[in-house]
Amino acid sequence: MKVDELAAKAGYTVFAEGEPREIENGYCGDFLSNIISRAPDSCAWLTVMNNVNVAAVATLIDCACIILCEGVAPDEALLARAKALPVWLLGAKENVFEEAKRVSALCGI
Amino acid sequence: MEECIRLEYDVDGNNFSSAGNASESVKRTLKQLGVDAASVRRVAIAMYEGEINMVIHAHGGKAIAEIYPERIDIYLKDSGPGIADIDLAMKAGYSTATENIRSLGFGAGMGLPNMKKYSDDMQIDSTVGVGTTVFLRICF
Repeated sequence: MKVDELAAKAGYTVFAEGEPREIENGYCGDFLSNIISRAPDSCAWLTVMNNVNVAAVATLIDCACIILCEGVAPDEALLARAKALPVWLLGAKENVFEEAKRVSALCGI
Repeated sequence: MEECIRLEYDVDGNNFSSAGNASESVKRTLKQLGVDAASVRRVAIAMYEGEINMVIHAHGGKAIAEIYPERIDIYLKDSGPGIADIDLAMKAGYSTATENIRSLGFGAGMGLPNMKKYSDDMQIDSTVGVGTTVFLRICF
């Protein structure tokens, strides 16, 4: 499923739009070193981490999108970096576990 | 002497928002040169960890990348506090990062282990009170 399609179906807030991307996988985590060494390409990355380095890490791992969970809104620096790169930055209301289940069910991953 | 593309970057030690710029630039260059995606990812990860280390521990420094047809050599040079016990620093999970750094998502103690894991050769030359140079070689 494409990122914009997931955002519409799941009712996620779109903070920043990236290139059209297909979500092929998922990864949950907040420790950036774990994420860059373990997250698969083209994944939806679910996190509650909210700072500018999240955008840098997202491009390094070439993820399909970042999903900020638990109602976390990006700070100014993260938002600006995500828009500049650009990388998809979405916002979700529930916790990482619940949102991972939702992404899994909707994307069939 | 082999011909190479040499890229040099200043890593700003006081700026977390620009951390990752050097590795992002090298990643883009390698992609343009047609280096395979798996190698590009290894380079980006190893170099990003090095860059972040320089920002967290050493007030920044210099990152130099030399790109050859079959490999990349990366030198990360800082004038930071140095590493007293390199074996200990190489242990997965060992970190001297502060609580503040951890709140940014770093300090898992995986930086140096990740750099080793994703490179084909890694050398650390460090003197306490003088600085550290990390050499990374990644073969495509």
